[in-house]
Amino acid sequence: MTHCPGCGARLDAGAAFVQEFWAGDDRRFLCWCSGCGLLCTVVISARLVSHEPEH
Amino acid sequence: MLSQEKNERLTAVGPGTPMGNLLRRYWWPVATHDMAGRVPVRRRLLGEDLVLFRDGSGQLGLLAEQCQHRRASLTLGCTERTGLRCGYHGWLFDADGRCLEQPGEPADSTFASRIRAVSYPVAELGGLIFAYLGPAPAPLLPRYDLFVWPDVWRDIAHAELPCNFVQIMENSVDPYHVEWLHGRYGSFLRELAGERAVPVVTKKHVKVAFEVFEHGILKRRILEGQTEQDEDWKTGHPLVFPGMLRVGGGGIATFQIRVPVDDTHTWHVWYQTYRFEGPAPPQAAIPVYRVPLHDEQGEWLRDYVDGQDICAWVTQGAIADRSQEHLGRSDLGVIMLRKLYFEQMELVAAGKDPICTYRDPDRNVCVELPMERDKFGGARAFREMWLRESSIRYSPIRDQVLGQFGDVA
Repeated sequence: MTHCPGCGARLDAGAAFVQEFWAGDDRRFLCWCSGCGLLCTVVISARLVSHEPEH
Repeated sequence: MLSQEKNERLTAVGPGTPMGNLLRRYWWPVATHDMAGRVPVRRRLLGEDLVLFRDGSGQLGLLAEQCQHRRASLTLGCTERTGLRCGYHGWLFDADGRCLEQPGEPADSTFASRIRAVSYPVAELGGLIFAYLGPAPAPLLPRYDLFVWPDVWRDIAHAELPCNFVQIMENSVDPYHVEWLHGRYGSFLRELAGERAVPVVTKKHVKVAFEVFEHGILKRRILEGQTEQDEDWKTGHPLVFPGMLRVGGGGIATFQIRVPVDDTHTWHVWYQTYRFEGPAPPQAAIPVYRVPLHDEQGEWLRDYVDGQDICAWVTQGAIADRSQEHLGRSDLGVIMLRKLYFEQMELVAAGKDPICTYRDPDRNVCVELPMERDKFGGARAFREMWLRESSIRYSPIRDQVLGQFGDVA
């Protein structure tokens, strides 16, 4: 994770915080952007299961 | 993993670093009460070499160690009625750093008025001497409950550990280590010695929770057989930001204070209070004792809970290499703490006060902190275990404490 998903500011320099951790098969990054204040977890999933709504 | 750049930001405590700037906004213990006498002593805090003294008038002083004149150590100094005199050429400095005398200079010289030693505010509270190395105006020295409670006994244990303070603090938001480091590994050592397993700390964790609150991070847990009505969950106990753990139960309450000496050393202080059910005679003075780190073979002592913790902390390395670690969901407390440090560093960089800064005397009469009484589901069982398995086992008043509680050795 090098950029904030919210504002696009760089996360790999300065005060921003990016911490990788694992949950089951998922690789996760807890991100805190010191620019916009966004706190989020970005998940790189092994598999994404979704449902297409009726149309 | 954490990038190397972020790891350095998290762990470097010297002047001018982001973490150093944050930590300088707090008062830190720099000595126990017995260390400060007429003989000046060398102390090191946040990467700065210092000399602590108490002059003939009883005034405490904390100066940068090197004399402003020719850079000799002021630990080779004489305390005078007022101030500390350098042993090399006799320059005399007061606790505020003013140069009062320069014996070798002409009598009409004004040179001394242009010399100022680096000095820091110091204050005594609860048997500890605290220092503030940050910018003025200094906040109030927090009057945390254990430092100011009346009618309790106290003792103070300490040891210098060869590792960075952050990895020690991370242990305080890592509840699962209790059932493994102390429960399984501690019991494994007992098995090898033909002894029974360690009681109390072997219970499995069912649920843990962490919450950032006004004092730092509040930690809660549910152990096997417990419910949300137990104090371990209902009350919990705090990591007190930025460098302290409050822990205990059954009438014993401890601050584990992790004082950053420099990037690779931490002065660990165990500050105990004992609150008995019946009356106890007042203490004449607070006993101070050192915690041994090694056995006769030079191995890390690990046959008790605090020794196991120390062993884990120092074997992570002088500064744990977080770029090589692999965190999981059970490490969310650790992640929360790291994020809190980063957030507070940014607040300081923006010119604001970080959390746990006290400037209102009315809020600082006695800062009460939450902590379980019935820890791990039983006050007495915890207390009896803790008096054996914590650093209290080295306390010179341990037998008297046992007697006052009515416990068996």
